[in-house]
Amino acid sequence: MASINGVTIAILLFGIGLLGLILRRDLVVKLLSLGLVNGSAILCLVSLNARRNGVPPIVHSLAPAPYVDPLPQALVLSAIVINFAVLALALVFVMFLVERYHTTDSQRIEHEISREEEER
Amino acid sequence: MRRSSRSMIIIAALFVFSFCTVLIITFDYRGAQEEAGAAYIENGVNDTGAANLVSAIYLNYRLYDTLFEILVFSVAVLGVHFYLVQQKGSAEEVTHIPESQIIRTSADLLFPPILLLGIYLVLFGHLSPGGGFSGGTAAGTGLLLCAVALGADVVAQRLHEAALERFEWGILLVILFLVLLPILFGRLPLTDLLPRGRLGNLLSGGSIPIYNALIGAKVFIGTWVVIYAFVRHRGEI
Amino acid sequence: MTARTTLLLLLPFVAAFSLTRRRRIVAVIGMGMFSLILAAVYLLLDAPDVAITEAAIGAALVTFIYILAIRKTGRLVVVGDEAPGLLEREGDRITGLEQEILASFSKHHGLDLVVRFLPRGEIEEALLRGEADIGAGGIVSNDEDGRFLTTREHLPTGFFRLVQEGATPSPRTQETEWMYFSDVLEAIRTQGKGSYTLDLARFIAVSRFDLSVYSIERLPGSFSYTFFLPSDREDLHRRLDIHLGRLRESGELDEMIRRHFP
Repeated sequence: MASINGVTIAILLFGIGLLGLILRRDLVVKLLSLGLVNGSAILCLVSLNARRNGVPPIVHSLAPAPYVDPLPQALVLSAIVINFAVLALALVFVMFLVERYHTTDSQRIEHEISREEEER
Repeated sequence: MRRSSRSMIIIAALFVFSFCTVLIITFDYRGAQEEAGAAYIENGVNDTGAANLVSAIYLNYRLYDTLFEILVFSVAVLGVHFYLVQQKGSAEEVTHIPESQIIRTSADLLFPPILLLGIYLVLFGHLSPGGGFSGGTAAGTGLLLCAVALGADVVAQRLHEAALERFEWGILLVILFLVLLPILFGRLPLTDLLPRGRLGNLLSGGSIPIYNALIGAKVFIGTWVVIYAFVRHRGEI
Repeated sequence: MTARTTLLLLLPFVAAFSLTRRRRIVAVIGMGMFSLILAAVYLLLDAPDVAITEAAIGAALVTFIYILAIRKTGRLVVVGDEAPGLLEREGDRITGLEQEILASFSKHHGLDLVVRFLPRGEIEEALLRGEADIGAGGIVSNDEDGRFLTTREHLPTGFFRLVQEGATPSPRTQETEWMYFSDVLEAIRTQGKGSYTLDLARFIAVSRFDLSVYSIERLPGSFSYTFFLPSDREDLHRRLDIHLGRLRESGELDEMIRRHFP
């Protein structure tokens, strides 16, 4: 049986986020679930090389110490910032949709859009 | 949430959880392995002079990644600003909810330390955890606190909104030049615009503090632009 | 168990809790809490840079932007003037027949009800500008050019005109439409000059004052209270109509009427 570590929980969170994305109809909650999927991927990357008695990768003295791998952390830093920026843009479009159709229910929005297409 | 069909929920849940279980069981996790970053740990301090190895990686060894990340961030901020300003929101002006004394006082007390924390994170980014992104975002959050207390329009006025945009794009141009101009002359991006210095000095780490400062300013202004665009569109904070 | 494992175990529960909430704002704040716990986990995994960035971005900025974006969705904005028995303020709360109808409607559809008081004349403008969703407060359908949708009537009424002796009777749409009802009450109480056109509910409230200086005439015709909606909100109109029909058939409407107009 797998032990409880960051990778396992990250996979579990990925599953929860995926379920939320599929099953909830509210557009805002869909975006939140997408953010959760992002967060789970980042958690997996960061915890792949975590060790029990690790030390954060900040060098204080020239003696060797069990530093945790700094490479995933550097990559993940960019990912977090880009996630936020893209999320803000996605929220702008969600806001436009909501203002136009006065609802956040994705099925009803699709329904209204297809109705408008038919009328044209 | 309306009632989606019960069977669909169960099928979806079963599928996703079986997928996750398969992943968990078959993921061959044996703890910390031979690291990809071992080379960075060994040579980081000597090559760059920065104590924060993560900063050393994303501002020295992998500078191009950071460059494109800044570009993506700028484009997203530009997109938010463009769409929200072009489309007239449901309000003509930002109505200011009269704030309570608590918010005003706490904003007065908290904003200078938050700004100081942001500047500290940016300046000391090569010596301790922090860096351009964290510092810029922390300072942007402080500005957000000010906007809640004083009103977004007041803060925008004091920041000279029009000049701010040009400043932001100016910073982006400076970053681009710093990174790409040496390539025109056939060299790699300059990495020691500041002296390498002793380990732990403020004035160490090559050009990492410069990049940190530029990125910090960029992210700070970017978050403010996004927040202000949202507030203007919505009409109240 | 170490602190690391405990916090890691907490994460899926917080995530599952916040993604299954019905109210959007609870979900957003739940995910903010999730980001904060995640930042603590990053710190315990020896990644302080990532922890600071995640805390600043995930817990503060993302939550704030979501709250800004969803602030006005899920609200049902109702504008109207005060009408005793239909939509009136009692201290902190708002009561009345129309308020009950609208409250049951919004609860049924999971919306938050917000009532704003405006004089009768400004209701149409607010609806056209898109600032409000429903016009209420004892209004009677008099819209000739079809700019608005009206729902089926929920209560019959009549119109009364009070004219002070000596004053010229002003046409119907003049003074009263642009004043708040509380001002009208005050004016009649102090027996001010002028003429006022009032519907039944307001007339009942006014009739406890001394109306001897006014001549009262009842305008001919039969009217009915209704709700106004902007003409592009057909869907809301349909749902409100269905809801009113349901209330009427089940007898709840009569019960509500009896409660407010004994």
